[in-house]
Order: sequence, then structure tokens, then C-alpha cells
Amino acid sequence: MNILSAWFAKVGEVARVAFRHAGELGKLTWAVIMATVRLRVPRKELLTQVYNTGISSIPVVLVTGSLAGIVTSQQGGYQFQGAVPLYVLGSVVVQTVILEMGPVLTAIVLVGRVGARHTAELGTMVVSEQIDAYHSLGRDPVALLAAPRVIAGVLTMPLLVGLANIIGVVAGMVAAYVDVGLGFESFLYGARLFWHNWDLFYSFSKAVVFGTAIPLISVHMGFQTRGGAEGVGRTTTQAVMFMTLTILILDALFPPLLLN
Amino acid sequence: MIRYRKVYKAFDYPVLAGVDMEVESGEMFALFGPSGTGKSVLLKTTIGLVVPDRGDVELAGISVFYGEDGDLARVRRKVGYVFQHAALFDSLNVFDNVCTGIPEDQLGREGDRECARRVWRALELVNLEPRQVLSKIPSELSGGMQKRVGIARAIVGRPEVLLWDEPTTGLDPVNTAAVERLIKRLSMELEVTSLLVTHDVEGGLEIGDRVAMLDEGTLRFCGTPEEFRSSTDPKVRAFHDRAAAEAALDQLTE
Repeated sequence: MNILSAWFAKVGEVARVAFRHAGELGKLTWAVIMATVRLRVPRKELLTQVYNTGISSIPVVLVTGSLAGIVTSQQGGYQFQGAVPLYVLGSVVVQTVILEMGPVLTAIVLVGRVGARHTAELGTMVVSEQIDAYHSLGRDPVALLAAPRVIAGVLTMPLLVGLANIIGVVAGMVAAYVDVGLGFESFLYGARLFWHNWDLFYSFSKAVVFGTAIPLISVHMGFQTRGGAEGVGRTTTQAVMFMTLTILILDALFPPLLLN
Repeated sequence: MIRYRKVYKAFDYPVLAGVDMEVESGEMFALFGPSGTGKSVLLKTTIGLVVPDRGDVELAGISVFYGEDGDLARVRRKVGYVFQHAALFDSLNVFDNVCTGIPEDQLGREGDRECARRVWRALELVNLEPRQVLSKIPSELSGGMQKRVGIARAIVGRPEVLLWDEPTTGLDPVNTAAVERLIKRLSMELEVTSLLVTHDVEGGLEIGDRVAMLDEGTLRFCGTPEEFRSSTDPKVRAFHDRAAAEAALDQLTE
């Protein structure tokens, strides 16, 4: 009986924390929308965040995008040899990169590179009373700090995913030529054979959703930080876990919503 | 000017247990108390940074927690808050840090030149040479200078009330004396109401018009510095008399 009640207590506590986070996230989202609509977002900070989130992430996104294309091509080439016409590899690489690898890997990269940074930055500002200082001066930390980060995520993520898609497909094409000797024309023939324009919309829809979720969660977790340097470390770890899980769950929701 | 009405606050344990306190207009009021008795928490309730579980705070007749929409913003505009560790914005230079203290509507109305003049004047008031510090970021300043910039940020908005959260913590004796003099001088020059939370009892008794002591969540003492010095309450005495402190410690150990 004791074990059962302890289990229920644990479940109740987890549910309470989950609902509290959901509520706070909802409030933050609304506050970001209002700050944006009322044009209270400082341009300088927005440009800084566009640079931090977008421009600075380009090299790592190019590397992960090209590796995703190469690995997909190598795996496909290995499995198709002697069984399936090799030009199908073009379709497999393009579809895999655009529908899945490009958006998801870019999002995971941004979780580590940008999301963790947001949480640590804002968490440090909370524990060093800088957020309280903004409140005491009658300034709105959501408009000054949260909104620029979220807007930057929404704006730059589609561009990063676009880059990852392009470099992934090109790298996959080159890898197919090097690995299994599939010519560029055959690769592109295969790619065109199963191509739907909708796939591009699907890829960029994911980019927008992930680009909104990552900064929202990271900023929310940053604002929730308590308890000094240890608290900042703990919250940053939780934020990375929370963001990664959210990306994977949202990713799993996309096919039933947009592909069927 | 500031009225605390039965303020209760508990975190994992009770911190404030029904504090009733009044700070008169134009007064320099010093608040002492052992660590963890909720002095900073009480100070933060004044501008709604901490929401009490029960009770209310009134500032210039405006209720902080039961007022209408916009009342909290009005209260905050009347107050300059000096944080314990300065709480300067890491990524902004001194000019931008101090400039943040000017209310947004005044920033728009007065123009860049007037704002720059106000920042300059605020830095001079806290004995900083503006030319030397304006373009520096907080990490390039010493602890004492950071505190002064924090004070400049609090006064640049021309507040009616200054709240000081342990402004001398972590400073050497010379800087402590300098900051205390600065607090006294600013309070007089700017004709503001000041509420100072401090561990430095001698400093507080020196510059305070009235002093109070918070203990176990309630107000244990409230009166003039002379009354504080002559108090027979053992806990009050332990706070400014070394021998009484030793005796209190012995009693605790036994």
C-alpha cells in the first residue's frame, strides 16, 4: 500500500511539474507574441540573436548536413547493390535528407549550440539578479531578452534547414558517385522520379516548428533557473533533454499530420 | 511613504511572519537582522519582485499587490533599487547600464543628448569619472566600482525612494565607509526616502534616522539609533555589542 501511494505521489508530482511548465510556456508564448505585435522588441538585440542563432551556426550545420547526406548515401548504396536499381538511391538520399535528416539534425545541432546557450545565459542573469534588475527598472525581460531569441529562431531555422538540405543532397550525390559509382545524372533521375513539391513544404514546416520550440523552451528554462551556478548547470542539462525530446516527439507527429 | 502590512512569506520554511513596518517620507531607515531572517525578501516585496503569501505593501499610498492595472509599474517608477551584487547587465557597457535606469517614456521624450547628460551626472554623483568608465563593461570594473555603477543606475531615473540591499557586502572597510557616506549624501542631496538593508550595524546606526531589527520573521526592534544602542533586549544588544554577542553564542552552544 505504501509503495502504491508513493508511486501515485511520484506520478502526481511529475504531472504537477509538467502542467506547471506547460502553463508557464503558454504564458511566455503569449507574452512573446504581444511584445512582437506591439513592436517592443529591440532591433539591435534581434540582429545580435539572428547572428548568434543563424550566421554562427552555418559552419556546423554545413558539416552535419553533408555528413547526413554522405551516410545516407553510403548506407543506401550498400543495401541496394545487386537488389534494387541504383538510381533509386537518388530518391532515397533526397527524400531522407529533405524530409528527415535536414530538419531534425539541424534542430539537434541548434539545441546544443543555441538552446543550451540561451538557458545558461538567462539562467545566469536570473541568479545574478539581472532579471530582477530589469523588473525593478520597469523593463520587460520578455520583450528585451525572450522575444528576440524566439523571433531569431523562427527566422533563421528555415534558412539553416535549407542549407542543410542543399549540402546534404550534394554530398550524398558525390558520395554515391565515389562509393557505388552512381553518376550524377542517374542520381538526379532517381531523385526526380519520386519527387513531390509538398516535401519541401513539409521540410520547412518542420524548420519553423523546431525553430519556435527550441528558443521558447530554452528561454523558459532559463527564466525558471534557481540556486546559483549549480542551478544554472542543472537547468541547462534539463533544458537540453527537454528540447531534444520535444524535437523528437514533434518529429513523430509530423507524418500523420502532413504526410498522410 | 512605505507601509508594510502583515507581510507573510514562506519558502521551504517561514521567512516573514507578519511584518508591520512604516518608513516615513524623507527618512533614512536602516534594517538589520541575522542572516536568513528575510531582510532582502522584505525589500523585494516593496516593488513586487517577491510576492508575499499574505499581507500588502503600500508605497506613496499605492498598493503594490492589491492595486489596479499599472499600479505596480507606477510604484517601480518611483523606486531606485540597489542590488546586493550590483546586478549590472553583463553584456552592456556602463553607459547603457546606467541609461537603462531612465524610464522609457523619458528616454523617448528627452532625446539622446539629455539622456547622456543624465548618465554623466549620475556617474559623477557616485564619484566615478565618466570618461574613464562609460565604455567599459562590468567585468572590467572593480567590485566597488560595480556597486557605484549600480547606484548610478538606481538614481538616474530620479526616484522618490531608494532601496539598498546590503550595498556594502563584500567591500573592504575603506570602500564600505565610502559607500556609506555616499548613501547618506545621496539620500540628502536627492531628498529621497531610503530603506537600507545591511549587516553593517555600526554603519547603519551612523547614517540611519531610524533603525529596525528583523528577527525570526518579525520586527524585534524599531526606534532611533540611540534607542537601539541603549536597548536591553539581549538579541538587539548581541547585534551591536561584541560581549553580548559572545554571551548569546555561549547560550546557544549550551
